[in-house]
Amino acid sequence: MAIAIPSIACLGIIGRNNNPLHISIFPSYDPAANSFAPLRTPLQFSLLLSSTLDIFELRARQNAVNATGLTGDYGLLHAIDERLASYGFETNTGVKFVVVVDMRGRRIDGSVAGNLKGGVVGLREGEMKTVFRAMQTAYVKLLQNPFFEPDEHSPPAGSGGKKITSKRFAEDMRRIGESWTPGVTAL
Amino acid sequence: MDEYPKGSLDPSIPLLLTLGVAGGSDHGIELDTALREQGVLIRSEAAPLDSEQALGLLRYIQDHDLSRLPPTSPEPIAALRYRFRVRTAERSLLLPPRHARLPDGADPPASPAALHSPFSPLSTVSKLYPDGLIDTKWLQKHQALVPALVLCFYTLVSDPTQATLCDNQIKSDLNNIKGLLSQSGYKTRLAVVLLSDQHAPSVEGVQERLENLRKGCGIDSKALFLVPPNESTQELGRMAENMLSTLYPLAVEYYRDLGRHARKKRGRGIAPQPTIPPTSGTSQTLSLAGWNVRYDFKSAIFAEFRSEYENALRSYDQAYDGLLSSELLEVIPSWSPRWNEARFLADVIAIRGISCLLFGGQHSTAARRWQLHRDKVAGFVDRHGRGTKNYGWKAWESRWAVVMANLIERTVIPGFEPQLHQRYLQPEKVAMGERLQPFEFLHHPGYWYRLAAQHLYGRRALARAMPDDDRSPPSSSPASHVASKAFTYDTYMCPEPHEEYPLNDAPGTDYGDLIVDNLTRARSAFLERQQVRFAAELSLECARELTIRRDWKSIVELLRPLWKNMSFRTEGWYTIAEELSWILRGAAAMVGEAALVVAIDWELLNRNFTKRTNWHYDISKSLDGISPKSRPHVYIEDGQTLSFISASFIFKDEEGKAGQSANGQLTLKSSAHQGSAPIRLNSVQVELNGSVNRIIFKHQDDADPQQKNGNTSLSAMSLSRITDKGKGKATDPDSLDEEQMVILQGDANLTLAPGQVIVLGVQVPLREPGETCAVSLTMNLHSESFDLDQYQSFQQGRGASIWYLSASRTKRVARENPLAVKVLPRPPQMEIVGLTWKDQYYTDEPIALEFEIINEEDVDAPARLDAILVGPLPPVFIVEVPGQDETSSDGGSKEESRLSGLSLGAIESSKSIITHVRVPPIPESTQYNLTLKLVYFLSTNPGTPITQTAVFQLNIVNPFEANYDLLPRVHPDPWPSLFDPEGVRDPSEDDTHILPKGLCQTYSLVTRYASFASEDLRVHDVDIRVQTSRSVRVHSTRTLPASPNRIVKPKTIEDAAFDITSQKHTLDDRSQSTLDVSLVIKWSRLTSSTPNTTTLPVPRFVLFGTEPRVLASASHIRLKESPKPLIILLIIIENASNHFLTFGLSMEPSDEFAFSGPKQTTLHLLPVSRRSATYRLLPLASGSKTGGWIKPGLVVRDKYFQKVLRVIPTEGMKLDKDGAFLVWVPPEEEEGSENGEGSSESE
Repeated sequence: MAIAIPSIACLGIIGRNNNPLHISIFPSYDPAANSFAPLRTPLQFSLLLSSTLDIFELRARQNAVNATGLTGDYGLLHAIDERLASYGFETNTGVKFVVVVDMRGRRIDGSVAGNLKGGVVGLREGEMKTVFRAMQTAYVKLLQNPFFEPDEHSPPAGSGGKKITSKRFAEDMRRIGESWTPGVTAL
Repeated sequence: MDEYPKGSLDPSIPLLLTLGVAGGSDHGIELDTALREQGVLIRSEAAPLDSEQALGLLRYIQDHDLSRLPPTSPEPIAALRYRFRVRTAERSLLLPPRHARLPDGADPPASPAALHSPFSPLSTVSKLYPDGLIDTKWLQKHQALVPALVLCFYTLVSDPTQATLCDNQIKSDLNNIKGLLSQSGYKTRLAVVLLSDQHAPSVEGVQERLENLRKGCGIDSKALFLVPPNESTQELGRMAENMLSTLYPLAVEYYRDLGRHARKKRGRGIAPQPTIPPTSGTSQTLSLAGWNVRYDFKSAIFAEFRSEYENALRSYDQAYDGLLSSELLEVIPSWSPRWNEARFLADVIAIRGISCLLFGGQHSTAARRWQLHRDKVAGFVDRHGRGTKNYGWKAWESRWAVVMANLIERTVIPGFEPQLHQRYLQPEKVAMGERLQPFEFLHHPGYWYRLAAQHLYGRRALARAMPDDDRSPPSSSPASHVASKAFTYDTYMCPEPHEEYPLNDAPGTDYGDLIVDNLTRARSAFLERQQVRFAAELSLECARELTIRRDWKSIVELLRPLWKNMSFRTEGWYTIAEELSWILRGAAAMVGEAALVVAIDWELLNRNFTKRTNWHYDISKSLDGISPKSRPHVYIEDGQTLSFISASFIFKDEEGKAGQSANGQLTLKSSAHQGSAPIRLNSVQVELNGSVNRIIFKHQDDADPQQKNGNTSLSAMSLSRITDKGKGKATDPDSLDEEQMVILQGDANLTLAPGQVIVLGVQVPLREPGETCAVSLTMNLHSESFDLDQYQSFQQGRGASIWYLSASRTKRVARENPLAVKVLPRPPQMEIVGLTWKDQYYTDEPIALEFEIINEEDVDAPARLDAILVGPLPPVFIVEVPGQDETSSDGGSKEESRLSGLSLGAIESSKSIITHVRVPPIPESTQYNLTLKLVYFLSTNPGTPITQTAVFQLNIVNPFEANYDLLPRVHPDPWPSLFDPEGVRDPSEDDTHILPKGLCQTYSLVTRYASFASEDLRVHDVDIRVQTSRSVRVHSTRTLPASPNRIVKPKTIEDAAFDITSQKHTLDDRSQSTLDVSLVIKWSRLTSSTPNTTTLPVPRFVLFGTEPRVLASASHIRLKESPKPLIILLIIIENASNHFLTFGLSMEPSDEFAFSGPKQTTLHLLPVSRRSATYRLLPLASGSKTGGWIKPGLVVRDKYFQKVLRVIPTEGMKLDKDGAFLVWVPPEEEEGSENGEGSSESE
């Protein structure tokens, strides 16, 4: 028996000015067509990522009031529906990482899933930490590039900014998005 | 949730019925007509009460009807002392029959028939007969028809004559009701409220009557209430509260009995047989499992009535499991109506179960239960029903999401109120450790509504996919097809295919309406929680739906505010902004919102957006096909759109000077889509702050750029000043209205092709000091069909600061604010020159300064002069301006002397005037600063004062310094005798006329003065001025011959000597007196002849005194025999005291000289006398040519005090460092030595 397990549907990096820096979209398994295809259109994923900004803002405000949330890991931002859920992380420079998880993005054989709890697999609170850590490592690697000008991507005064064009960074994101499965501890 | 039949999902609240108060209708009319005939009518014979008190009480009870109150959180509900659903009846209530009748025409059974409730599947009248489970009617029976409590209102008459009669009436009425109730078979409790009338009867009597009533009717003492008359509203409320709280346990008890009954029946473990065995259909009766579900459901409902949610949940779970077990739902054939009934029951149980979970705070379990039910039902439908691939299933899924949203909305969950902005709830503790699905965190209704909308899309898609054959009404299709259709489409709670999506565009299900409704609800839920972007996404979705419905107006209403200030634009989510813009543009074009269409088209030209291949991208064609009522004027605010023209205005230099001009550049860069039509701007206005108000660039077709390189064109503009018509007065160029706007204008070619950069260099004249900066910019475009103005404000740090050196070369202006130029004040062209300026001025000299003020401005300048002299105790000075009187400063202050606002009149261009400043002689050496401040105006610009300041330092020094020696000399005259009677003064004589007869002393004052000036000075005269005390007469003469007009060089020492002879007025006065002398030097600079007088004070000398003194005087005699001079040394001892003194003189022999005179002698001096001793000295040393000094060892000793007196040398003598005196020996063989001259004493 095949069991649906979560996979990453989209990775988003959002800059300090709430501007999109990078969006990677990953295909999900479609049992009807027995193929892999993105669950939503790029526009829908854009909307989905942008909607998390509301939550980042609210959470930042709440954190400021309660003086909590120093780690920047915002955990589950919201579940858009039964399949898609957004998880968020904010660095102390205001760069936000968003992971959109498709709860039924992959299918594995029941025998393989034996060690996992039967039925539909959920996610634990801290399970996204690995992904965020890997994303942050990739982002730090990007920042270390002397030709990468962070101010160009999120001007300190003003709005908007350029997107990240680094191929290596995109490759990193692709690797993270494709290799993550629940229970992975290092990416 | 509204789609479920009325009452099926209502919360179970104990039903309370009030009877006997006027105003309420009769109860039980909702009953089915069939049942109404058989219903039990209970009627009160007593007249309904209409007293204020009764109505007030009823109102209070009605106001606390829980079913009508808005939802509150479960905690307050749990804390409630009572929960009632309240119904009122005036006189009668109709209860449904307890037992159904036998159907007409049925064969009477052999044994007496077991009659059952009409709501039971056992009764033939019930729709459930013979094998149904349970339906809403049963729920309604308990929720709305059969009360747990009947509360009867009566008046307790106080009139003693009628009391018994009335009591009996109440008694009989109550007994009647009671009888009827028990006849009906319901265990409804009875409670009585007695309202006292006006006259308060005695307490005992009342108690007795109440007891009587209670006993007479067999009413529980807890269920009998007496309301005293004339109670206030508050008091009534308190009583009602108390009453309801007392009654609530009775109601709970009632439902507990019912629950117990249901459980008892379940416990029997047999399926009851219907009254009449079924003959039609499958003749199947309800199985035992079915009965168990029915009983469990009943228990659950009764537990809910009692607010025992956990018990209820347990029973619901049992019922649910039983229902979905292999014995029930699995075996019900899907074609049977029972299948849908069972599905309905499963829904109801699930919903009620979830509601219980929400009440119990098990949010995640509730969410999970929701999913579980969906999955289970999906499984059943797939296996036994029509499958999940048709619109019916999607309809249910959508409904199922709405149900959850409604449930969450209906339950107020603490910590989940919209104003707390929570998106979801943390799972309850039990579920905390599990691997939860994200959606099992209970999300707010917005998400659920959205989910419902998503399913509606699916429903529509599936409905649209139906073949036409299925969509034709059954009447027009062959019977076989109708049959097959019945097995294809799930019509559980949704229309048949031919109604869902009929052929021929007949109205079917309005999906758009449903979707928009759900999306709108979701949107408001998101907005409530400040999820603005999510709400925007929903608006977008909504708009897409409305596009399908061609509801253009609603789209414009919905999206226009969003388009105006969406965050997607500023934050760079261009794909979203673009999507929204296109939708809105389409709708706006349909509605005829021409201005909006133009504005959107304008924005969409930006290259950041994706280019549509089939779009013209020509702003002039924007309004093709739209005929607006009036010519649209589009005004685009700053930041309202993502403009494809980026404009900047920067200054090249950071600083400029007023009166000069600064280099500025306007850069217009188009980032429109490649291939879009060029934009021809009509004008660009740059608003500035400071010297210039506005620069207008006007389009001129033939104004070709001066430099062109690729896409960049650069031209330097010449600007001309135009007058602002709005200000009116500006027509007169001479009027110096400061408020006048400065507007410059130039012509340029403002046609912007995609990717083109237009650079326009301008010279901005700077007028006023301060800052001139570019503030904003407005672009105007006038096309054939519309006008467009785009406003843009310049902000520091926004936009690149690129300066175009030429069309091909740029440089970055690395300044903090390239938008501004700092205008320094206009440099003054008026000069102040000190003409006769000297480094040093001297004390006691009048200082005359001359200044020339030169006007180097181009025009005449009226000027004013301020002069300030700063320093210690500045003198009052005088300023002289040609053609005016002298003006003196005010010398009020200790530190400055000031002269302000001295008008110099208008100074002509390149002319000058001379002013004189005169400072009076200053007695002391000091330093002053003279500041001359010139404030002038140019006749061309009288509003702006220009200031020129010059500071001069006045160094005032003493030209001379001197030191002084006062040397005693021997006064030649003999002393007057104390014993001479002539010396005695007649006291009657006037002081002034008598000749002084006192003692005399002579001194020689030797001064040495030096010039400290930096230049040669001419000294006219040197003199002394003597000031004495009154007791002394002083006469002074100059010893050295004065050389008038002597030129004194700097740092040279000049001598001057004066003889001073002083005499006391009387001999009697022998006290000390002082002598104040000052040296007066009359001098002048070489250039001037007016002498200045400098007075140098000489330290005070002390004359006279009573102490004896010894003077030595020497004179020389040239002997012919010897070349050596003979020195005659005279020792004079003066005794000014009143004592007789004796002195011993001893002369020691010496190798230096030989002497004659007493070697040792004694001199006796009378009071006020002097005596002398004479020695002749012949120097022994072989004669020197230069002369020399010898040291006579002469000692004068006061015999009495044994004190050696110092011998004071006079002329030709000096003291050595031991205090002994030396005598000058003139050189040999020289005659007439000067040294001898001083001696006035001779042998």
